[in-house]
Amino acid sequence: MPHPHRHPTLTRRRLLGSGVGGLLCLGLLSAAPGLLFSSAALASDAWQRLDAAQQVVGDASPEGDGLTLDLPHVSEDGSAVALTVGVDASLDDGDYVESIHLFAAGNPNPEIAVFHLTPLAGKPEVSTRVRLNETQEVVAVARSAEGKVWATSREVRITVSGCLMRGDDVQESLSNPRVRVPDSFSASQPGEIRTLITHPMETGLREGDDGETLPRHIIERFTVSVDGDIAFEAELHQSVSANPYLRFHLAPEASGEAVFEWHDDTGESARETRELNVS
Amino acid sequence: MSFDNTPFQPRLGVSRRQVLKGMGAASSLPLIGGFAPAFASNSDGRVVVIGGGFGGATAAKYLKRANPNLAVTLVEPARTFYTCPFSNLYLGGLREMSKIAHGYDELRDRYGVEVVHTLAQDLDPDSHTVSLANGDTLHYDKLVLSPGIDIRWNALEGYDEAAAELVPHAWKAGPQTELLRRQLEGMEDGGTFVLVAPENPFRCPPGPYERASMVAHYLSQHKPSSKVLILDAKDNFSKQGLFTSGWEQLYGDSIEWVGLSGDGRVTRVDAENREVETEFGTVHRADVLNVVPPQKAGWIAERAGVTDDSGWVPVKPETFESQQVADIYVVGDATVAAPMPKSGFCANAQAKVAAAAIVASLRGDSAPDPYWSNTCYSLIGPEYGISVAGVYRIQDGVIAEVEGSGGLSPSDASPEIRQMEAEYAVGWYNAICQDTWGTDA
Repeated sequence: MPHPHRHPTLTRRRLLGSGVGGLLCLGLLSAAPGLLFSSAALASDAWQRLDAAQQVVGDASPEGDGLTLDLPHVSEDGSAVALTVGVDASLDDGDYVESIHLFAAGNPNPEIAVFHLTPLAGKPEVSTRVRLNETQEVVAVARSAEGKVWATSREVRITVSGCLMRGDDVQESLSNPRVRVPDSFSASQPGEIRTLITHPMETGLREGDDGETLPRHIIERFTVSVDGDIAFEAELHQSVSANPYLRFHLAPEASGEAVFEWHDDTGESARETRELNVS
Repeated sequence: MSFDNTPFQPRLGVSRRQVLKGMGAASSLPLIGGFAPAFASNSDGRVVVIGGGFGGATAAKYLKRANPNLAVTLVEPARTFYTCPFSNLYLGGLREMSKIAHGYDELRDRYGVEVVHTLAQDLDPDSHTVSLANGDTLHYDKLVLSPGIDIRWNALEGYDEAAAELVPHAWKAGPQTELLRRQLEGMEDGGTFVLVAPENPFRCPPGPYERASMVAHYLSQHKPSSKVLILDAKDNFSKQGLFTSGWEQLYGDSIEWVGLSGDGRVTRVDAENREVETEFGTVHRADVLNVVPPQKAGWIAERAGVTDDSGWVPVKPETFESQQVADIYVVGDATVAAPMPKSGFCANAQAKVAAAAIVASLRGDSAPDPYWSNTCYSLIGPEYGISVAGVYRIQDGVIAEVEGSGGLSPSDASPEIRQMEAEYAVGWYNAICQDTWGTDA
């Protein structure tokens, strides 16, 4: 990590004490944003100001067009901001989008998630819900198998509306896995898949009622295979909202069985299977 | 009056106005006469207000209070405005429709606002004109839009205008509210009332949960074996802890709430069969179905070119002038004013800020430094009220809640405090209606 974790501030403790929980799950009010930025702080593109994104881009000169990042301009609840990222650029025959990386530049840990896609994933478009600690830029970088790179960003303003205060809720990890697949697919045509599972995605950055820091406890990996072949994989970090939601696509060539697996950092996992019917 | 929450000064220095006039400030406000009806004579400027709800009526009144020499025209099709605040009390059987109805006589007779009961059909920001359904064209120096919300028809699959006649939204008070009440009255005991709640942002954040409360109250009186199910596209909602514990105390387990993470997000409505389907494929059948659908700024805002791709209106927080079109001020639910909620109270407060800014601008002055306050009262039962309050100022160029201001009703309050808050809610309603329309409920 390019920056240290910080101890809770007084302000934050007061917030916790008063039960005003809108953003509690986000962990600390963020470390100074400057700590997250590389020396290229004056560069014009948001990805250039973020070390973690720069590492993904490497020596490439990323395209801006072709990668779309859809987020609200203003969100009244930073604990779950709906996000859709997708590549709509046309690719050479045989090339496909291999990975999509998401970063929240103003969060204590900027990594949100990495999605690894395969040709079986059909359409390179993923939706999830993310935690945004404060008003900030969200950055997306995508790479294709043949080395094309795209980068883009969106600013999101986070407000905590007085009318949207809430308390904490207790959740049982890895319960209620939900998967929805289309009733049928056309061969090699992408169909939309939605998944949801109950998990606190505890950041390891916030205090419980007793004032002790709650240990980090997150789902780190989600995988989808079709008849044994990995089709879609997600690495998740603390900035993915509690009860991770993922919407993506599969484009099976023939009918088969899809296996969905969630793995958390305690070694526990959950598993669901679905028949994919290709008509 | 507890609504002096803006730095608005209704008194004018007469001498100052005369001095300004003498210096020619008034003549710099062109009265382009071609379109203006005769009543526009002898004016310090012409302001047209579109929409006669909390925002528009307040703006019209406070413009005239600040400067009686302004020509202020309020355009509102309805002769009677039904407020969304307290419309849930009508559903609960606590209040008649006539007690949430307000007219415009006071604005016309006492404040000298010209009230035109017709629809504003279109407007042209370049020529500063508004065309009305009655054939007239109004010219403005400044325009106030208080268009409220419109439903994003079909944004929720299966929920269009025809569906709303079967399955009401009742998110604009009036015939829709009455339709929902009739359906509740016609429901068999033992039935299920299903309320579909939208994701943010939407009009009145605590509204769906107050509605569930008031429906549960009605059912507890008349159909005690019935249930209320709330299917929510969010995991968190306004005053959630207070609502949840109030529901338990007053209605036991007869109100069930299913949030986003519990597959509460509805993705399809079948109005004919009163069924809804959630994101993960659960189908719920309702005996009475109430869909609070996705929303956007009232359509005239889009015609005016003041909305952005979110469907809402970004405004300059200092004045509530549109960020996109000069001389158009937008107030109320249509705006992006978060963290201020989309409430009648906020519309009222924003309208005062816009009115003050317009009066100042027409005089060649800069707008006063604004602040706003808001309270959202909700009734869980007839004698069980809760509230959340906030004070807002501009910080770093955006609206922010003042740290340490406002707050929530205590979670462990006594029944006496809940009862007092229920009474305060009525006091609040009477006061803000007086402040907005000059009318008693």
